[in-house]
This record gives sequence, C-alpha cells and structure tokens, in this order.
Amino acid sequence: MDLEEIFIKYRPVISFRVRKSIGAGNPDWEDIVNEVITNAIEKIQKGEFRGESSIGTFIYTITSRRIVDYIRQKGKVLRHAPQPADYPDPQERIEEKERVELMARALKRLKPKYRKVLYLYYYKEFSREEVAQKLGISPRRVSERVNYSQKLLKKYLKK
Amino acid sequence: MKNCKFEELIDEYLLNRLSEEKKEEFEEHYFNCPSCFEKTTQRNELLRVIKTKGDMIFEDEFRPHEARGASLAERILSFLTPKQWAMTAVSAAVILVIVFGVILRPNHPTFQIVSSETETRSGKSIELLSPMLDINAVPTEFRWAKSDKELEYKFYIFSNGNQLWTTTTKENFVVLPEEVRNLLKPMVKYSWEVKGFIPEGAIVAFSSKVYFRVIKTE
Repeated sequence: MDLEEIFIKYRPVISFRVRKSIGAGNPDWEDIVNEVITNAIEKIQKGEFRGESSIGTFIYTITSRRIVDYIRQKGKVLRHAPQPADYPDPQERIEEKERVELMARALKRLKPKYRKVLYLYYYKEFSREEVAQKLGISPRRVSERVNYSQKLLKKYLKK
Repeated sequence: MKNCKFEELIDEYLLNRLSEEKKEEFEEHYFNCPSCFEKTTQRNELLRVIKTKGDMIFEDEFRPHEARGASLAERILSFLTPKQWAMTAVSAAVILVIVFGVILRPNHPTFQIVSSETETRSGKSIELLSPMLDINAVPTEFRWAKSDKELEYKFYIFSNGNQLWTTTTKENFVVLPEEVRNLLKPMVKYSWEVKGFIPEGAIVAFSSKVYFRVIKTE
C-alpha cells in the first residue's frame, strides 16, 4: 500500500470534512488534519486496516472520531457549524482571494435568469420548491439552472 | 453517463439541511467517491463566493432600495456646489498623500519576489538553509534564516507538486514527524517552502521553493 499516494489523495477530503465540521475560520483545522493523517498512518502500519471496509471509510471513521473528540474538548456544537468564512488563512489568502474575485466577476456576467436562481437558492437560502414557485418554473428547472450556471462559470474561468 | 444518486444531496449537505444520519452517510460516501467529492467542493466554492460577495454580485437587479439610493445620491451631490466639491476633493487628496506617504511609510521597504514562473509576490524574502539538492539521509530538520521581526512561519513540504505535510511554528526550523519521514523515498524529488506571517494572519514574507532528494538511505 503506497501511503504517500493515499494521503496525497485523502488530505483534501479530510481537510474539507474537518473545516465543514468545525468551521473554516477555526485555525485548529490544520492541526486536526495532520493528527488524523498521522493516526491513520500509524494504524495502517500496525496492521489495523484489514480491508474489511474501504480505505476511504477507514479514514472517514478516524476523521469523524477526531472531530467528535475535538468538539467535546472545546465544548462546541457539531451541528449547524458556520459556513466557510472569509478568514485570513495564510495558506489560502492570496490565491483564494484572487479566485473569489474572479468568480464573483464571472457570476455578475451571467444572464439574469441564472443569477435570479442563484440569488434565491444560495444567497437567500429558499428551498428548491420555493424558488420554483417564486419564479414560476419547475423545481427540476431550478436544479438545471444551478448546474448550468456552474458550467458557464467554469467556462468563464478557463478563458 | 449515469449520475451518482448522492449528487442530489450535495446542496442539502452544504446548506446544513440534512439529518445527522443522512449527513454522516453522505460524508462517508464522498470519502469513497472522488466524483461526488469534486462536485461538492466545486459547489461549496460557488456557495462561498455567493455568501461572501453576494452584495456585490446581486447589487444591480435585486436590491429593492435601489430607487431610494438614487434620490439619496442626488441629495448628497446637491449638498455642495461643483466648486466646493472640487476643493473638497483636492483637500482629501492632500490628506491622503500625507497619511500614506509620510505617516504610514513602512520602516523596511518591501520588494517583489518571483516565487515561481507564474507567480510574483510582495513581501520580504525568507532564505532557506537546509536541506537542499542531493542529500545522504532522510532529513529530520528543516531550517531557514530567522527574520528580524517576530513572525509565525508556515512550513510546507511537497511531493510532485502536491502538499505532503504542513505545520506552523514560531521557530526558524521544524522537525519532521517520524510518520512523515517514513513517507520520503530515496531518489524522489521533494520540495519545501516557508511563508512568514504576522499574528493578524497577513503574509509578510516568503521563501522560494527548494528541491531536495535523498540519494542514499541510512
């Protein structure tokens, strides 16, 4: 089993899961990710991963346990963790800030019918059915417009 | 190509609308499904941009108070005559020049660092000391020159451009944990870099990326 390959592949997944649970603005997330990876490497080297589940599930379980421990320690609440915030994370600050600006400008270029859906669905957080009702379209059409907006954005960002 | 059945849960997950049970099921799934994970991160990025920049993105069409804003702008403009506005603008420019040009001038001049072929950054330079190029044993310690200012350093090690490990320290060195050292293979090129930042989180110093390779094992 190539440990390096495994952890290069899973680091972004573990990071995403940790940041989603404790809030992206929480500076502890990176330490938790490193601890999860170290712990998983130790367990694999000790032969504790016996292939009864997939490696993804094995790492997911270790990640979840570490998050629960962290939240218990800090007395924080797992559910309804804050959305990723605009926190001055040194690793991401420059690259991400530029990308966010670029995406915001690309979103402004979308046609109003797509922007309206994004505004109601993500910004105002109405349900898909509520957005459909407000705009007089079907819920399926709401999803289609969201998906199409994302495709257009990718196209704009590639230019 | 048939879509994965979990894809329909992506938005509900990101908007915190799933029950605890469903949420865990979805999370376990994206640890096993690279396609769903990629779509989730892309959608999360979109959501994050909309949440943080929504005021700017949707300002034109969807602001109900836009009409009121226009009349307010007119009232502000008519508050002074054009000549008075011109005098105010000149005075403001002079004050800005004094504040930014004299009072807030930094003690140490900063300069531009070309850190890669495609990226240029502003800040001070951090000199990396060791390891670099070909070395005889898997390195334990990574060392760089200490800055004259009190900084926190963020250390990164990469394998083939992918981040392998990172940590933060106030010292001018890091000791690689045993588990990470064990990942380093002989005759493979690895690179590392360091960024320096002030406690408020802003990056003020960078190193270039330096390569090393273990040519013999212990």
